[in-house]
Amino acid sequence: MRVLIVEDDAETAEYISSSLNALGHTYEVASDGKQAFLQALDSDFDVMIVDRMLPKLDGLALVKSIRSADVKTPIIFLSAMNGLHDRIDGLEAGADDYLVKPFAFSELSARLMALTRRPPMQSEPTTLKVADLEVNLIAHTVTRGGQEIAVQPREYRLLVHLMRNEGRVVTRTMLLEAVWDFHFDPKTNVVETHISRLRQKIDKPFIKDLIHTVRGFGYSLHA
Amino acid sequence: MLNMKIPWSGLRSTSTKLSLQFALLYSVLVALMFFGAYRLSIYEIRDRTFDQMRADAQTLMGVYADHGADRLTEHVKALQTVNFENSRIFLLLDGNGRTVSGNILEIDLAAVTGDDVQFIPVDDIEIDGDLEDEVTGYWLTQTRIGPFEFIQGTGDHVGSEVVEALGVALFIGSVLAIAAGLLAGVWVGKITEKRIVDISNTLDRVSTGDLQARIPISNGASDDLSRVSESVNATLGRLETLLETQQQISNDIAHDLRTPLQRLRQRLERLESQSQPDPSEAGSALAEVEDIITTFNALLRIAQVEAGDQRARFEKVDLDTVAETVFEVFEPSAENQSQVLRLTRSPSAALVLGDRALLLQLASNLIENALRHCPAGTTIDVTVDAGDEHATLIIADDGPGIPVKDHERVFRRFFRGDKSRSSSGHGLGLSMVRAIAALHEADVELSDNEPGLKVRIAFRRL
Repeated sequence: MRVLIVEDDAETAEYISSSLNALGHTYEVASDGKQAFLQALDSDFDVMIVDRMLPKLDGLALVKSIRSADVKTPIIFLSAMNGLHDRIDGLEAGADDYLVKPFAFSELSARLMALTRRPPMQSEPTTLKVADLEVNLIAHTVTRGGQEIAVQPREYRLLVHLMRNEGRVVTRTMLLEAVWDFHFDPKTNVVETHISRLRQKIDKPFIKDLIHTVRGFGYSLHA
Repeated sequence: MLNMKIPWSGLRSTSTKLSLQFALLYSVLVALMFFGAYRLSIYEIRDRTFDQMRADAQTLMGVYADHGADRLTEHVKALQTVNFENSRIFLLLDGNGRTVSGNILEIDLAAVTGDDVQFIPVDDIEIDGDLEDEVTGYWLTQTRIGPFEFIQGTGDHVGSEVVEALGVALFIGSVLAIAAGLLAGVWVGKITEKRIVDISNTLDRVSTGDLQARIPISNGASDDLSRVSESVNATLGRLETLLETQQQISNDIAHDLRTPLQRLRQRLERLESQSQPDPSEAGSALAEVEDIITTFNALLRIAQVEAGDQRARFEKVDLDTVAETVFEVFEPSAENQSQVLRLTRSPSAALVLGDRALLLQLASNLIENALRHCPAGTTIDVTVDAGDEHATLIIADDGPGIPVKDHERVFRRFFRGDKSRSSSGHGLGLSMVRAIAALHEADVELSDNEPGLKVRIAFRRL
């Protein structure tokens, strides 16, 4: 995938670009807002990584300009600002996700993947299917190999989120945000506990595991 | 700018200047008023004199009509005898213009012709007898009585004693009033000046770093200056708290990050010296960084909440849904530790004005705190209740509890009861709870659950 990295700190830009390169992605780097705006209009990217504080045109204004130019490329904000409402401001400006510095590259790459492969859904599907696991989104039922599995509402929501991101890595933080709207890190390893409960029902009685732990990254549901 | 000294001497102070200006204005007004009164009284006395002359002329006309010329002559003579030192002068002329009676020896009759009262200087008349020293002229009238011409006049000195006495009284009065005005002005100025000096001195002390300085406020006075003083004091109070918070944050960061930073440094040094870097060493270093970031974020977040700027974005939040979400998140963890987490919803809607994300964190921190400090077998009750005025969130456990003497201290940053500092958690959870509660103007109350700990957060209900 092709990534536009808008970052004025050379070292951070180099860290992101070399890590992306190692994963086989291509990239361009812009070190100020104006240049980034021109690059964003000039060529097609799959995703843009935009630092919030930039010379010439700051990140928030840049994203607004890109969106008003009708460029719909997914954008993820990187910010050293941890203000409680900076995230909301960023999303309101037109960004699709928001990540606070300092961050681990695993978190960034998982979020990039989630953004780029978001399917352009024309209509909401009524069922989700991964291998022999099936979720009926209308009846709220879960079956595997034709066998119905009773899940609690919280397990159902977690499962649906994992299935919608089939094959992609979903980090702990992403799950906390998406499933429970938690924008802080609980000290208790609640995500691990919930995943393990879900595994008990979805994977344990069957031969092949579908929920995989990606060490140092998070979880991924795939055949 | 900070150390600027303002000269408060004498006339340079605004308040004194202002009071003097008002006193001066007051003096001018009083003087004008008294001068007006003086002039008015002169006219009033003159009017009375004229009235009396007219009345006398009427009497004489009556006497002539009823009793004839002889009685008229007698009357004019009688008027002369009651006269004192020629304050009034008379002349009765017959049809031929000859003097019948009177103390006017010679007069230019042409000057007196007409109905109006005329003023004739004393030099233009010759009068029989001595004159008062003060007289400068006479007010004269001429009346026709049958064939006679009656001329009478009143000296302009008549009533001047009264006017003079009045003038003196008015003058003394003015002087006293002006003096009082000036004194009051200066006095008020001095008092105001002293209070302004108090304010200025206080601000000087603040600018040199004494944040505890406050403007003295005299009780009872509720004028504009004391209102200004009160709001300055309130601002100083807020400033002091903010600075304390700021100081607290730097202390906290130094306090809690130094040790993990030291460990991180050791690991990195070890990695550097290794020819074949040990991946587990790098992993530990990364974990250390994670830990540092978590603590750092928690501290900054508390500081942000304490600064209180997100109140502008408050919205309606249902405490029940907050409790339900948090219950859902932690229930499996409790079960794993053989603890029972129970939820009791409010019988009626428990709506409050707040920040949903922060309220989620408040509830999470309280539950995590209970989960961490209670042994297996304990029950943790999460209860939401809505009363008339308050919506409350109660987290109660039947674990070991906290000694009452520590109830206040647990809210301090990094307080961890008797446990060693190596235990899990950063000792920041309850500080965050208190900060969030304070932001929502909610009361936090710790009590003995007999056994265990009961934390009750009371919000104002919508």
